[in-house]
Amino acid sequence: MNLGDFYQLSAILTGYDEARLQGSGVGETYYEVLTTLIPSHILTQLQDTFCTIEALPKKALDSELRKQILANAMLGPVARNILKMWYTSIWYPMPTAWSKIYAVPNQSEQKYQDVEFIISDDAYIQGLAWEAVHSHPMGAKQPGYATWSFTPHDIASATAKRNPAK
Amino acid sequence: MKQCEHFDVVIVGGGISGGIMAQQLGAEGKRVLVLEAGADTGKTFSGYQKYMSTFFTNLIKIPNSPFPQNLNAPQPLVTDVSKIAEGKPSTNGYFVQRGPLPFSSTYTRALGGTTLHWLGTCLRMLPEDFKIKTHFGHGLDWPINYDDLKPYYEKAEFGIGVAGDADEQNYHNIDNPAVHIPFKSDSSQDYDYPMEKIPQSYLDNEMHKGLEGMTVNLSGKDYPVDVVSTPQGRNGMPRGNFRPRGAVGNPDLGQRCEGNSNCVPICPVQAKYNALKTLDDAIATGNVEIRSQSVAFNLEVDPSTNQISKVHYKKYQSPDSPDYHCETVSGTVVVLASHAVENAKLMLASNVGNSSGLVGCNLMDHPTMLTWGLMPENIGAFRGPGSTSGIPSLRGGEFRKDHAAFRIEIGNWGWNWPTGAPIATVPDLIDEKNLYGEQLKAHIAATYPRMFRFGFLVEQLPSVNNRVTIDPAYKDRLGNYRPVIDYDVNDYTRAGMAAAKRVSDQIFQRLGVEQYTQYDESQPGYVTYQGEGYSYNGAGHLVGTHIMGSSKENSVVNANQQSWDHPNLYLVGCGNMPTISTSNPTLTMAALTYWAADNVKKALQN
Ligand SMILES: Cc1cc2nc3c(=O)[nH]c(=O)nc-3n(C[C@H](O)[C@H](O)[C@H](O)COP(=O)(O)OP(=O)(O)OC[C@H]3O[C@@H](n4cnc5c(N)ncnc54)[C@H](O)[C@@H]3O)c2cc1C
Ligand code: SF4
Repeated sequence: MNLGDFYQLSAILTGYDEARLQGSGVGETYYEVLTTLIPSHILTQLQDTFCTIEALPKKALDSELRKQILANAMLGPVARNILKMWYTSIWYPMPTAWSKIYAVPNQSEQKYQDVEFIISDDAYIQGLAWEAVHSHPMGAKQPGYATWSFTPHDIASATAKRNPAK
Repeated sequence: MKQCEHFDVVIVGGGISGGIMAQQLGAEGKRVLVLEAGADTGKTFSGYQKYMSTFFTNLIKIPNSPFPQNLNAPQPLVTDVSKIAEGKPSTNGYFVQRGPLPFSSTYTRALGGTTLHWLGTCLRMLPEDFKIKTHFGHGLDWPINYDDLKPYYEKAEFGIGVAGDADEQNYHNIDNPAVHIPFKSDSSQDYDYPMEKIPQSYLDNEMHKGLEGMTVNLSGKDYPVDVVSTPQGRNGMPRGNFRPRGAVGNPDLGQRCEGNSNCVPICPVQAKYNALKTLDDAIATGNVEIRSQSVAFNLEVDPSTNQISKVHYKKYQSPDSPDYHCETVSGTVVVLASHAVENAKLMLASNVGNSSGLVGCNLMDHPTMLTWGLMPENIGAFRGPGSTSGIPSLRGGEFRKDHAAFRIEIGNWGWNWPTGAPIATVPDLIDEKNLYGEQLKAHIAATYPRMFRFGFLVEQLPSVNNRVTIDPAYKDRLGNYRPVIDYDVNDYTRAGMAAAKRVSDQIFQRLGVEQYTQYDESQPGYVTYQGEGYSYNGAGHLVGTHIMGSSKENSVVNANQQSWDHPNLYLVGCGNMPTISTSNPTLTMAALTYWAADNVKKALQN
């Protein structure tokens, strides 16, 4: 799987567009973690499968992605791990049952191992979960004094829409 | 033989209590040595940054996660806490826990101490809290009262740098006179905190509106449920010519709280007070030396004078190696400031100060019961300091004859405490709820900002059976004792938990909060009361291991915080407090420490 495809697949999995994902600056590290740990023939198959469905209209894409990737015993756990990396900045070890059947993740001398770990300081800060919550990572990207007393984002924008004059 | 180095004052422990002592006495020109068991990583700004990095990449986000475990001065961890089988102590962590219930609170052993990861809540005690035995027939009376401590509260609020409005913190608008706290007096007509109150969160303000006029019935009497801002050791807008203290080594940083939402375990900019600041002021006096990686393990008594003649400590070169050598110093005055549990342990190990037999006894905490749910609307969860308001109106009242009082903390970080949300809960949305892409994003946006929790800090009474002891079978890597703990939660507190849960339910019903609270037997802090189950967590408020009292028989220290047995030995820290009541203890302890410092100054003059 090449980096470009990794971003495209990631965009569909996360619900954030490619530009946003690239802007986080940690995608390449995630790609490196993934390609170090998951054997390449599996990633090639993930890429090939994705390439056959990525151009489908939204609804069809959703159903094929679920059918062919998320519900696929070999590809599903890999896709979910990519998604979890983006949201939580954590690599979760591949399920034992998966490793038994498909491949033992590369484990040895490498920089990364198939154990639970936080990918880096930066990755923690860039975790998409914080953004999805409409907040900021605990301990970073501080929004400034007194911001916590402001009306939360959605309510503020909904009120603005309702009262455009204000 | 090497001469033993002598100081005016030897202080064991470089946390907030040791820091205040050192700063106060150093400023008087006394020669002070601080012995600190842990590493001094936080002393420089770059060292402090290392703590940040350790925190970011530590999978387990607990209060001690930025502060690496040091086997030469080990610290207890929340993750050590487990259920205890009868007759089988739990030895998972640093504590040896004999139960029947687990003691769930922790502290930090590194320069700066536990305030490195405290939240910073700085409440005064209520006047009635000083005399609960007299008023309610439970617990113990203090040998001093609120008025005695009041001027020292003011010193402590300026020393820590507390943000709050006296006009709110006197609770005079609450329709329950039992909780009123007098702030003004003849001597201080216009006292106010050094900084204006920290703005209350959007959640606090919504809750305030939603609960207006609400009352609850406790022991047959109605009490108001009022939301009030909480005074905090956190930089806000200064009053008058007070100058907030920024980060140690980078003072422009942290002049204001920036909403990093990470006060526990570590404030990235040090807008939240930590004792490194006070220690830095102590060093600036030019009279204070801090020796880190120096674990005090024995106090020697001169039998002819009963004075503490020597302090023995183990100096190690690196936290990564068990190698150490022993050193000895002496002080005209010796102050133990190594935290409630460690002070008790050191006295027991040295067999000093214990003619009452009460050293280590009366260990208390605030068993903290959480309730959580989903608010009907977005309340902007996961923003701001951990808590900016609470419900203090049930801190006192006649019902204390029947059950424990409690303070309600309103949490700003959603379900982070009870569930580890969002990071720990998102995998479940992916693996079990089968969400991805837009749906996942939309689901999080629709639920997480509505997440809400209360923390009920329930009062616990002193009991000689809740205690710290030592046992030669349990030692750490340097051969120092590990604390052995016996702990239980009695019916007075359990009844308080039950009352707290009723109050929580009523609030949830009134606000339309979808209940997610779950207590079950698998939780280490699970207890039952009248057939219902509740769970408590530790608050980190370790109180009462060397209590202050009116006589040599009923206490370990006198009102001056001086050992009854050894005239040159002073104890500071929350261990001196005979009861815990409902306020987080550190402000009161800091006030007592300023008092103790005055007493030591006087003693050194004579
Ligand atoms: C998660 C958490 C949140 C908290 N939040 C609040 C709050 O909001 N409000 C509040 O009032 N309180 C809070 N607390 C409690 C508060 O942190 C403590 O009450 C306070 O830090 C105690 O101060 P101390 O000086 O007695 O001990 P510490 O701060 O623990 O300092 C003791 C120092 O002594 C050193 N030491 C230990 N043993 C030895 C030895 N043998 N020789 C030499 N040195 C030694 C330690 O390394 C440490 O540096 C919280 C605690 C926790 C755990
Ligand atoms: S909210 Fe942030 S800046 Fe403010 S005290 Fe907490 S961690 Fe520090």
